Amino acid sequence: MTDYENLLTLLARAGVEFIVVGGVAASAHGSARVTEDLDVVYARSPGNIKRLVDALASTNPYQRGAPPGLPFKFDEETIAKGLNFTLTTDFGWLDLLGEITGGGGFEQLLPHSVKIPVFGIECWLLGLERLIQLKRAAGRPKDFEAIAELERIFEQESR
Amino acid sequence: MKSKSRPLEPDPVIEAYKKDVDVTLIVENLKLSVEERLRKLMRTQKFIEELRRATRETTRDRL
Repeated sequence: MTDYENLLTLLARAGVEFIVVGGVAASAHGSARVTEDLDVVYARSPGNIKRLVDALASTNPYQRGAPPGLPFKFDEETIAKGLNFTLTTDFGWLDLLGEITGGGGFEQLLPHSVKIPVFGIECWLLGLERLIQLKRAAGRPKDFEAIAELERIFEQESR
Repeated sequence: MKSKSRPLEPDPVIEAYKKDVDVTLIVENLKLSVEERLRKLMRTQKFIEELRRATRETTRDRL
């Protein structure tokens, strides 16, 4: 199980700039679909990358699906040289995204996000309308059911 | 988290999928706070993991 409470509070209390996107964002908006990882878009500034690395260092982050023993070092250099990382941690599966298709990075998504109080902290959540737009833009058949549900939520919320 | 009421441009494919969405689940979820929704998601995940574990053990025992 991915422990959203521990992951979100760990990142927020370390001052990491991030936005919750993907399936957990959909759940936060009211989706009944189950997701198993936490997707966050993080700001790519050197200061934020340092905060991110420091915050997660104690959770044994490792590349999900990679065989044990690979020379993966979770440090500022690795994060700065890469962009998107799918990780396992002691608190479950965490996807760190520098950008998302069609949506850009943290700065581009921030105006479309809402700040939510959750688990005793506050964090940014991608807004429902933008979430729908991005899933639509991706055009993946596997997302059709999820988009339909999100649009139903949008209709309920708009009443 | 009330959304703005600007209507989304309908997509015919998505409109077809919308017919099968269980709106009663959405209505119940919207009564919860964000934190309650995420706690519910974690409980569901835990339940699924337990089912998977039990299924694995049952399947293994039969082989």
